[in-house]
Amino acid sequence: MAESYANDPEWANITPIELDDGSESGAMPLATIAYPTEYLEATSYLRAVMAANEMSERALKLTKDVISMNPAHYTVWIYRAKILLALDKDILEELNWLNGVSLKYLKNYQIWHHRQVLISSKTHFPTMPPKEPDFLMEMFAQDSKNYHVWTYRHWLVRHFKLWDSPRELEDVEALIKADVRNNSAWNHRYMLRFGPRDDVPDAGMVNAGNADISPEEKGRLPVVDEDSVDAELKYAQEQILRAPENRSSWWYARGVLRAAGRGLGEWEEFVGRFVDGNVVKSSHAVEWLADVYGEGEKGKAVEMLTMLKEKYDPIRKNYWDYRIQQLGEVA
Amino acid sequence: MALVSGPGRAGGISSDQELHISKHVAYIKNLDTRKDELEYWLTEHLRLNGVYWGLTALHLLGHPDALPRNETIDFVLSCQKDNGGFGAAPGHDAHMLYTVSAIQILVTVDAVDELEKRGLGGKQKVGAFIASLQNKEDGSFMGDQWGETDTRFLYGALNALSLLGLLDLVDIPKAVSYIQSCENFDGAYGVTPGAESHSGQVFTCVGALTIAGRLDLVNKDRLGAWLSERQIDKGGFNGRPEKLPDACYAWWVGSSLAMIDRLHWIDGKKLASFVLQCQDPEAGGFADRPGNMVDVYHTHFGIAGLSLLGLEGLQEVDPVYCMPKSVIARCFAK
Repeated sequence: MAESYANDPEWANITPIELDDGSESGAMPLATIAYPTEYLEATSYLRAVMAANEMSERALKLTKDVISMNPAHYTVWIYRAKILLALDKDILEELNWLNGVSLKYLKNYQIWHHRQVLISSKTHFPTMPPKEPDFLMEMFAQDSKNYHVWTYRHWLVRHFKLWDSPRELEDVEALIKADVRNNSAWNHRYMLRFGPRDDVPDAGMVNAGNADISPEEKGRLPVVDEDSVDAELKYAQEQILRAPENRSSWWYARGVLRAAGRGLGEWEEFVGRFVDGNVVKSSHAVEWLADVYGEGEKGKAVEMLTMLKEKYDPIRKNYWDYRIQQLGEVA
Repeated sequence: MALVSGPGRAGGISSDQELHISKHVAYIKNLDTRKDELEYWLTEHLRLNGVYWGLTALHLLGHPDALPRNETIDFVLSCQKDNGGFGAAPGHDAHMLYTVSAIQILVTVDAVDELEKRGLGGKQKVGAFIASLQNKEDGSFMGDQWGETDTRFLYGALNALSLLGLLDLVDIPKAVSYIQSCENFDGAYGVTPGAESHSGQVFTCVGALTIAGRLDLVNKDRLGAWLSERQIDKGGFNGRPEKLPDACYAWWVGSSLAMIDRLHWIDGKKLASFVLQCQDPEAGGFADRPGNMVDVYHTHFGIAGLSLLGLEGLQEVDPVYCMPKSVIARCFAK
């Protein structure tokens, strides 16, 4: 950070633009802001160079100075990206610097968009920078459910077509191994295995945005690799056994069966292991059985839903009542 | 409006089930006296959002005149840029999120006509700015010209344009189809296609579909199941599976359930009890969880969530716009 921009010869030809906070018109009792002087000065020079759209080394340094004081200043990031590309700077060096900023400000999301803008440059990055997954794993070590980082990682997969990259699945498995309740990792796994590929528009599941497909058909793959489906179902079962009350793995299994166009019934035997008379090891298993029985044995389905309502999930009593009503008149 | 957290802490006493209205009013009014605190300028990038949160909370608390109306309008207008959009504070670039807050504030204080009198180009110019941020290919909306995409921006665009009576400036069918593409295998919605389901994003998607008149596209039972699962034993809602509860999700999850007519699927009493434990009974304000520092964001969404549950003493909130129902009724009666 410069000692003072006003005393720096490099900045002598710039007339800083003071913040017009409206206070001169007397309009602003709600928002007059007591800024630290360094920040006020730096941003006054920033306004001046931005107004002139100056693409220079000194402007680049200035953006870094402002970011170091306030990384949530959304305007400065846009300007910085423009300068980096205009001056043809070393983007890898920028990424290295960004890594540190990202680790320091875990909740900031301007940083992630900035990263995406830079890596989108096909001239600089015809393929993914090889250290990207390492850095993302470093971020996940801080917060393995960081929504910005996962959204960025999803973008990377689509941008560089990484659905079958071994590293993607390896990282997801490591994260699920470390915390089987990491719903973000489960979502990423689903996108890798069953999400739309590059021949169709992106969506949460195949055909989600397709108006010509009925809701029941959404998520169903046109071509199913049964071996892959079986492997994923086996994986889900292993994870369910680790933590039977974990919603994420149960939802994943439902998503896999949906993608394959297969019913919940094929898991009846496995799921039954968690519900033995009055000994219930997983409320999700009870719900699963209710869904299976709902197809034919409605009386048994009501029994399951009643267990959920009365014993395992009473906080959602009205929801379970609705489900019971939906089954209609049953003995 | 300062977004500085604290100074108070949420009481966290489960026996305290009273809403301390006058304390919350005083807390919000006093935010303006804290401009000498370090965090104040660090949150400058949220200032206009902060005014919307504070103002709306005051209206819901039944104290609509607690902030000076003229100064509020002056401040909003001072954030407008030449392109018609609004920045977070004077001198900041225009962005969707602040433009939406600006319109919500002006509608709440019944001053949209000020855009014609003193604004830069009237409401048509504001509408044109919002419309310019729609991606003509896929129907999504960006936050600003820089291109970040988020279902929040799409919802915000439809929210503000509908309040201004300018929905015809954008391609609604394309926007609707984009939202549909954000639906996940678990029945809920993410920030972009393929991103993990998140309660905040569910609110934006369901809200946008409601404004577009296309709630028929939502599988209400499936989404309702996912949303009601967000209530955990202590009564609070989390934003995603296996995450901690947070008072603000009383709003994001609760309003989404209300829009699809499934709010009764959760235990409202337990939810209200959790949110009330997040208030500071002495100095006012709400925190994310019992025992944590209060801030204006959680104060606003905590109160809005309680209003949704029909807590006595609060004005009714509109689940789509997150503004008082009476304000929305007045706006659409015009």
